[in-house]
Amino acid sequence: MELHQIRYFVALSETLNFTKAAERCNVAQPSLTRAIRALETELGGELLRRERTLSHLTELGERMAPLLRQCYEAAVAAKAVAQSLKKGEATALSVAVSQSIAVATLTRILSELSRVFPGLHLKLLRGSGPEIVAWLKSGEAELAIAGPLDETWERLDAVALYEEPLNLFVSGKHRLAGRKAAEFKDLASETLLINTASEMADKIADCLKETAAGAARSHHVASLDDLLTLVKANLGVAIIPLGIGSLAGLSLVPLGGLELVRTVSVYSVAGRARGTACATLLNMLRAADWGFESETGRKWGDPDGRTHAQRHPRRDFRPLPRPGRSAGRPAAGLRD
Amino acid sequence: MGPQFTAAVDNLVRRLMETGAGTTAPKVGEPMPSFLLPDDQGRLVGLEDLLGEGPVAIAFHRGYWCPYCRININALARAEAEVAPEHRHIAAVVPDRQKYAAWLKSDAKVPFPILTDIDSGYAMSLDLAFWVGDELKQSMISCGWDPAVSQGTENWVLPIPATFVVGTDRIVTARFVDPDYRMRMAIEDMIAALRLAK
Repeated sequence: MELHQIRYFVALSETLNFTKAAERCNVAQPSLTRAIRALETELGGELLRRERTLSHLTELGERMAPLLRQCYEAAVAAKAVAQSLKKGEATALSVAVSQSIAVATLTRILSELSRVFPGLHLKLLRGSGPEIVAWLKSGEAELAIAGPLDETWERLDAVALYEEPLNLFVSGKHRLAGRKAAEFKDLASETLLINTASEMADKIADCLKETAAGAARSHHVASLDDLLTLVKANLGVAIIPLGIGSLAGLSLVPLGGLELVRTVSVYSVAGRARGTACATLLNMLRAADWGFESETGRKWGDPDGRTHAQRHPRRDFRPLPRPGRSAGRPAAGLRD
Repeated sequence: MGPQFTAAVDNLVRRLMETGAGTTAPKVGEPMPSFLLPDDQGRLVGLEDLLGEGPVAIAFHRGYWCPYCRININALARAEAEVAPEHRHIAAVVPDRQKYAAWLKSDAKVPFPILTDIDSGYAMSLDLAFWVGDELKQSMISCGWDPAVSQGTENWVLPIPATFVVGTDRIVTARFVDPDYRMRMAIEDMIAALRLAK
């Protein structure tokens, strides 16, 4: 697939009209038609059915439109990054991180980005789910790392990064500290600290409602730092993501019957031009290995969960014989 | 690997040949476009960083799931050992996420960086990316080859496993581009080209 073919198809899928698509791409219509035909040959089917005023995408065209738009954006970003590196120009990048995520999880990636883009001016926003959605909509944040955002805006693109269980954490001084397990009834006499800025606050409340822990007293805070400070001071206990509790050095007391897992995703707005630092950060986040391991050897995070031992699903593979150059097709490999 | 699989591969390769996939990728004498991609450790690596050491061969691979790539990367690891003392190197580019790039690296004890090209963006910008298509996708799934898992996207887009030998002036001095993924640049050709490059 060539980039211009994809660009023409993206325009065509939006206009459903060869003349308008050609105008938008600033190209003569026969060139556009030729490019679309070449793309159809490569993809193995018609993309658009031409009918005077009722031209429409075929089933294949419908399926390929979002996929090719993603390809196009990835390629354009790759080109732009190469260009901007040469110029070393100043770039601003605004990233929103949810109040349910420890920034420490991202420091390695952010330092690497900062090393490579000397002209980078990073703006880190911290907020609750609704605040983050508002920042993405207004353009105040280009990217957001949160999860899960309860939002159905159709322009919101999400790519899952990792999954993280939530569980009970207490201060090292707490009576439950060091216990192998606890039950909901153990919480009835406790004070629960709740981070209202966490996307999971309602889910945690729902989980506890029907149990003995539902009777527990609760205090509300609206920031992760405040929550951790209060738990450390043994003012109460909290149900928080494993990564946060482990990083803060709190004591994990697995709560029997609690099965809460959240998905952390990177969110962006479809169709909005991304700066080069933003595109690079997005790729780094998506490429990263999100497997976590706590000091006690507990593992989580990896979205596919496949281990090295399961690396080859089929072991009876034998490579196909290489095709003979004389059989079937001419020697078309381009050796220069 | 039944006849159905072979037929699906042949159909795709024929379509790619027909449309001249990969023909506009950088040619000998043309500059290799820059890139900035994370390696298997999450470090960002640019083409210029690699060329700071000397000429480099950039080898596109399809991913850890691809047995041809695993075989090829073994051969590349040996080639790197041969040319590295002469300050000539190899780097691989895959659409796989870091975890899988790291497996590719550790299994074959690869001494060079394996870079992650998410959504094949860089490959796409070089005219090296293609859509697998429904026919071959089904065959691949039944065979246990699932690039969607290692890439973290359901796009089913793969790069043509092309190789470019690039001089320190960023000019391509040799290339091998064949839409048939079973064909790779011969290791001895690559080593010879790396030795000729300045």
